[in-house]
Amino acid sequence: MKPTVTWDVAAASHLLSRTEFGGTPKRSEQLAARNLHDVVAALLDEAKAAVPPPKPGWVKEPWVNTERVYPETTPMERMENHRKAGQRQNSERNELRCWWLDHMIRTSAPLREVMTLFWHGHFTTEAKRMFVAQPLYTQNAALRKHALGNFREMLEAVTLDAAMMMYLNMEDSDPKKPNENFARELLELFTVGIGNYSERDIKEIARALTGWTLDAPPGTAKRPLVKDAPRSFCRDGLVPTFVKEKHDGGEKTVLGKTGKFGVQEVLDIVAAHPATARFVSTKLIAYFGASDLKNELRDRMAAKFGQTKGDIAAVLTVLFTSPEFFAKESRGTLIKSPVHLLVGACRLLNLDVTATPSLAQVTAAMGQELFNPPNVKGWPGGRDWISSGTLAVRYHLPEALFDGTEPAGFEPIGRERFFPLPADPDERRKLLKTLDSLDTQRAAERKKDGFKVTFDPAKAVGGAVPEKPEQVAEVLLTRLLAVPPREGARAALVQAVKDVAPAERVKLACRLILTTPEFQLA
Amino acid sequence: MLPQIDRRRFLSIGALTATVPGFLAKTGALLADDKSLGNRDRVLVVVQLAGGNDGLNTLIPFKDDAYYKARPKLAVPKGKSLKIADDFALHPEAGDLRGLFDAGHLGVVTNVGYPNPNRSHFRATEIWETGVPDKDTLTGWVGRYFDNECRGNPSPMLGLQLGEKPAMTFAHPKARAVTLTNPRLFEWDAGAAKAMEQLNAIRPTANPELDFLQRTGNDTLTLSRKIQDALKDTKTGAEYAPFNFSQSLKVVAQMIAADVPTRVYYVTLGGFDTHTSQDRRHAGLLQELSMGLASFARDLKALGHLDRTLVLTFSEFGRRVSENEQQGTDHGTAGVMFLAGGKVKAGVHGSRPDLSDLDEGDLRFKTDFRSVYSAVLKDWFAADASKVLGTEFKPLPIIA
Repeated sequence: MKPTVTWDVAAASHLLSRTEFGGTPKRSEQLAARNLHDVVAALLDEAKAAVPPPKPGWVKEPWVNTERVYPETTPMERMENHRKAGQRQNSERNELRCWWLDHMIRTSAPLREVMTLFWHGHFTTEAKRMFVAQPLYTQNAALRKHALGNFREMLEAVTLDAAMMMYLNMEDSDPKKPNENFARELLELFTVGIGNYSERDIKEIARALTGWTLDAPPGTAKRPLVKDAPRSFCRDGLVPTFVKEKHDGGEKTVLGKTGKFGVQEVLDIVAAHPATARFVSTKLIAYFGASDLKNELRDRMAAKFGQTKGDIAAVLTVLFTSPEFFAKESRGTLIKSPVHLLVGACRLLNLDVTATPSLAQVTAAMGQELFNPPNVKGWPGGRDWISSGTLAVRYHLPEALFDGTEPAGFEPIGRERFFPLPADPDERRKLLKTLDSLDTQRAAERKKDGFKVTFDPAKAVGGAVPEKPEQVAEVLLTRLLAVPPREGARAALVQAVKDVAPAERVKLACRLILTTPEFQLA
Repeated sequence: MLPQIDRRRFLSIGALTATVPGFLAKTGALLADDKSLGNRDRVLVVVQLAGGNDGLNTLIPFKDDAYYKARPKLAVPKGKSLKIADDFALHPEAGDLRGLFDAGHLGVVTNVGYPNPNRSHFRATEIWETGVPDKDTLTGWVGRYFDNECRGNPSPMLGLQLGEKPAMTFAHPKARAVTLTNPRLFEWDAGAAKAMEQLNAIRPTANPELDFLQRTGNDTLTLSRKIQDALKDTKTGAEYAPFNFSQSLKVVAQMIAADVPTRVYYVTLGGFDTHTSQDRRHAGLLQELSMGLASFARDLKALGHLDRTLVLTFSEFGRRVSENEQQGTDHGTAGVMFLAGGKVKAGVHGSRPDLSDLDEGDLRFKTDFRSVYSAVLKDWFAADASKVLGTEFKPLPIIA
């Protein structure tokens, strides 16, 4: 017989721990009083209807390249413009991380952000490889727009997009030797997945995607170019623009289909491929932590993906109402991502938070810097979140949230390297000194706002603070943990809470619960 | 890519066997007693050049016209490369590597790869890290070495990685390696440390993820003091550049000098995926590799540990022989490995890549990377290489 879902408070709490960064006991009780299918439909509807956060003030349409060089630009001006642009974009990247984190903490429709974060790890762009900040915002807005919409539309929105075109070198890919970077990742990581294509398919898709560049909006007068200037100094805009003369218009064979394909046909073919439905479903199952050893859930989700031509909300409905998702093996077994951990703690404890660069750095030190995944594959998730180093950072979280202090070691131990140092020892020393002061300056800018977090014991427990230490411990354990605490840990917590003055109890209990293995799980 | 679910199932089996409280209690006690951990044994430092290092511009076949023809923009000009053998020269920014070469501390393996090369970063990295090209495998080659050969050694940090994401090289159900980004993260105030120790005391449950977290939590807290002590008491004998890779090697040198119970270290230099504007970026990366390894060797020599240290570099693939139209190179096949240390057989090992006989624009490898691993296992660690690698590979003569 097919297993069914027992829909109760525990099940509701489980659903919220995966879809909304965690839910309070009160909200779980409210949901449990309704019917599962209605609850899931309402969750998805609310997420779809959510109003996106207003764009940061520095986002400009059309974008202006402040380091554009012209024949009359002097070397001094060029250097100065480059320096200023770099500085500004660094603070824009900082603001962007705060902007998103802040929205995740405050939003009334967290599932929309949980899904935007999923796609951010799927259609990646590494901020460290982007010299311009605005496309990072634009891509994020596109991911949010389509997060619960249609897969084919999202695929096009992220393909013909400045961030992806710059990051995976589709910009100016030349028909003489097409750049294969985007074509490869499109197949391997974004759609059909490994094992479902050949090296030949990559080469053919690369040909089909030639002819695209980033330019000023149509109708803008052409500006003079400087020969041999790097691309970042001569870009006039971020609008994906097709240049027919630079496109390979010949016949291509892609995944068994042949024609004079361009970008639309390629995206149609890969989006409709059955392997894509399976690949995306498998990733969603892992992200939301359902146990699906027999791949039955995956196949049902993939079938829905096929029937609805890639309707993400419909696929998620299958997942969130499935017996697999609510099975015992699926409960309390998902290791929270750093963002989930931090945002969840802020939301569940009703902390009064304004996201600052220091706060954003906490998730970065745990291994999840927003807008800057480790590589094109995004964050692998699961046990890969946890090493001795990242768990140490997780156990420093209370210092950031409750004391407003940044623990040592949140900065990387050195800079990334992408250019050679001069051979002359004096010049080399001089450059290293400049880099050092630049690092100091950047760290100071990042830390200047410190942490803006206020803790209120009554808000944290969600009502009147209980009198007895045992009750304080119990209320907070129920509120914060997705799995029952080990008996020894509970006893140690109660004892520690007893040992401090009543006014300190709630904060101490929170502090200690955040440094348990249990709190790492959803 | 491996199906996620298999990996999780596999790891949960591992968690059951590795969460034996007695085992942990024993390591904890041993770690508390520094004297018992003396480790004057040989040490390996694995250096990952992530992204796919361009072998042809690293070790340049400078007499081969085909090289210059394939790379009109990116070829290193003849007069600029640094000649180290009849047919080979190093990249001009690898001057410090030539210094190591001249001092007899550097070996280079050319045209190294494996059959049916994979050009995906992730799968190719897995192949190098597992040492198994032909099928999905969930254990790393060093992880298997630890399991096979180091059972008597109770250290939970037989492997130590400076980085964020645990390297598959160490992967094993009975994990014996730790990963950390910055040693300063292991500083706690005494009160907090005590409470955390109580809350993290191991109590096995039926939840494999919770047990995995308990185990890591316990390791983290136990290792904290050890790492701090090692770094506090050890002076370094060389200056390191203020870059991530060099600074990671500095920490490794301090650990080696402090005799921590670690046999294999792992550091990463990333950024080699040079699809566009390769020239300066690649030059910078090779300079960083050279400067970092030179500082490291100088440091270890001064501290008296160079002879017991072997460095091995690898990258998931080399790059396409022909440059692309964006002054870059795409994913290729065979590449170059470096070996550095006091006991390496200096010189260029392996045969010259044949640029006139390509496989769809890519090099045909001549030396299997597992014959390098085999040499490290057998000639460096005196281990049973074929047991770790699953097949017999004749060790490349790279150890003096």
